Amino acid sequence: MSKLNASDIQGFALRGYNMPFARFCFLHFPDAPRARTLIARLLPFVTTGQLWDKKPQSTLNLAFTHSGLAALKLPLDTLISFPPEFQLGMKARGAILGDIGLNSAEHWDEVWRTGHVHLWLAINAVDANELAARFNDVQAVLKETDGATLLDTQDANAIVIDGQLTTKEHFGYTDGFGNPDFEGVCRDTQPGQGKLMPDGSWAPLATGELLLGYADEAGELPVAPVPHLLGSNGTFMAYRKLHQNVGTFRTFLDHWSKQYGVGDDLAKQKLAAKFIGRWQDGTPIELSPNQPDPGVVKDPNRNTNFMFGKDLDGTRCPIGAHIRRTNPRDAFGFEGKLVHRRRISRRGMPYGPAVPPGDKTDPKQIDQVDRGIVFMAVNASLSRQFEFVQQQWISYGNDAHQGNEKDLLIGHHGEGEKYAIQGDTTPGNPPFFCTSLPNFVELRGGDYFFIPSITALGMLAMGLVDPR
Amino acid sequence: MPSQSGKVYGLTLLCPILDDPTAIPSHDLQIRGHLAELSTGPDSPFAIAPGTHLARLVVLDDVIYVGMPAREDHLKSKYLVFESNCDGDRDSYLKGLADTIPDELDNIWKHCTGYPPGGARDRGAFLAYMRKCEIETTFFFAPVNNKTREETLRALRTKQAVAHFIATHQGMPPAQIQRDLLSLCDRLASTPAPKPAAVHVQRAIVTGGRNE
Repeated sequence: MSKLNASDIQGFALRGYNMPFARFCFLHFPDAPRARTLIARLLPFVTTGQLWDKKPQSTLNLAFTHSGLAALKLPLDTLISFPPEFQLGMKARGAILGDIGLNSAEHWDEVWRTGHVHLWLAINAVDANELAARFNDVQAVLKETDGATLLDTQDANAIVIDGQLTTKEHFGYTDGFGNPDFEGVCRDTQPGQGKLMPDGSWAPLATGELLLGYADEAGELPVAPVPHLLGSNGTFMAYRKLHQNVGTFRTFLDHWSKQYGVGDDLAKQKLAAKFIGRWQDGTPIELSPNQPDPGVVKDPNRNTNFMFGKDLDGTRCPIGAHIRRTNPRDAFGFEGKLVHRRRISRRGMPYGPAVPPGDKTDPKQIDQVDRGIVFMAVNASLSRQFEFVQQQWISYGNDAHQGNEKDLLIGHHGEGEKYAIQGDTTPGNPPFFCTSLPNFVELRGGDYFFIPSITALGMLAMGLVDPR
Repeated sequence: MPSQSGKVYGLTLLCPILDDPTAIPSHDLQIRGHLAELSTGPDSPFAIAPGTHLARLVVLDDVIYVGMPAREDHLKSKYLVFESNCDGDRDSYLKGLADTIPDELDNIWKHCTGYPPGGARDRGAFLAYMRKCEIETTFFFAPVNNKTREETLRALRTKQAVAHFIATHQGMPPAQIQRDLLSLCDRLASTPAPKPAAVHVQRAIVTGGRNE
């Protein structure tokens, strides 16, 4: 594998744009001819994966649900060649994903309950003005072509603290570490991001774990639609709107941190770190178990460069910590090989107003406000990658030796569940249990999307999809 | 020594299934039908009989050709595969099965070639048949360690009780923790071991498909 043709791949599939403002538009096609015209008109503006000489002020990307592709009147032979989980869509996969109780579809936002979303149109922008300008352009094209109805939009933006844009999410953790490296995606391999080689070096994962049309870690082509050209350089995305109960989270942390260790502020920070596996500034507790270390956070050679193999008892990073469950690295042995086919690329972004630290508003009221994270996972196989992680590592604990316990942060908790924090005999690092786990995160909707290549978008626009 | 790992024995049997074109439904389908009806809970025959940690019954129709570079190969017969990780040694385990669940064994194995007409009650013929069908076991079910079934069931209950104890006693005065812990130990020691397969945790999620 040499270099990818980045100009044929949507930029959103290849990498995060690192822009603080975003608007996700959910659209419905009235009929195929007008929808094709719309795609044709948008196509020149779609942001590709080509590296930038100068960073653009905003970006535009497109992705389709299976019903969207059906509305474009793709041939039946093509429609039924997509992987079944994508054909079914996320709502129908609820039982597999553990989207039950408060996370079930009946509690979703209207736009996701109806199943009418055909097209996901994403705008990322460097500031609010650029976002509004690009959105106006899109609306003008929509009006001119009458190619789709705008059902709803979802704004997302980086959280501002003390006037500074941050990469924090609403619970206070610095987010966005640890996306995997893939072969051919033009970037130096960051230690800890790809796969560990026998000589201790790090190599990128096979391209086919991210993109269709390339060999994956098993040396096979991922399941992709026919014709080959429609799938190649494309990928799939799970879009999930995850509401965050910030009031509940803060109450929980306050309550348990009073009993944890010496009960001071550092103990509280440490307990918060033990939930996730990183201090709130992003320092991995595996590397710095006693205090945050800004030097590590800033250093790309260190901030994702750690393993769990020498911490099998979880005394540094608890066995059930969020980053350890969702990317166990070498925790299951075999030099970490068991996770190579379960990696996802995350493109998450917070939405809703931030809650200032120490806000005295009633926690229940804080929970009521529409805020959370737009979680987007990009992968070649929704079932093998995203769904596996969600089902086996978040909604079930057996691989992590946690029995039926779910992920503390995003699991849908039942009665009697607890979170175990392994420790040692030092006063600052005691073993500890949290019980009566509330639901910190609630799913408010989403779906599975196909992110086509630029060529494939052209095929869709021109009605050239021919499976023969 | 293969098949024996400390106190635990790994019994693997490959029993050819009767190939009778006049049997409708065929014997392999009859076994499948019967197995599908068997309980996996406390009333499972293998929970009632002594010594089974885990037992699995599989109908093996043939080996599947998976594509190049695999060699295409076929079995001479359909087989019933029985895998069990059990206490003790092979013969005492099989005798225990024959003593407690002879009818259940006959109802499964009567579809297999060479199974004694007298069934499990014909002890000598039954043991000879099972020995003949045995193949070596070199891998054991991962969670099985060098403990008997009863020891394992007790250990699981102890683990759950201790986890609950910690969760409910965290932060209490040491004297009270000690008092309650001693009382917990007494309680655990004086209670009989839980019954096999009696704890049924209902998992809320649906599994299956290609993602496992």
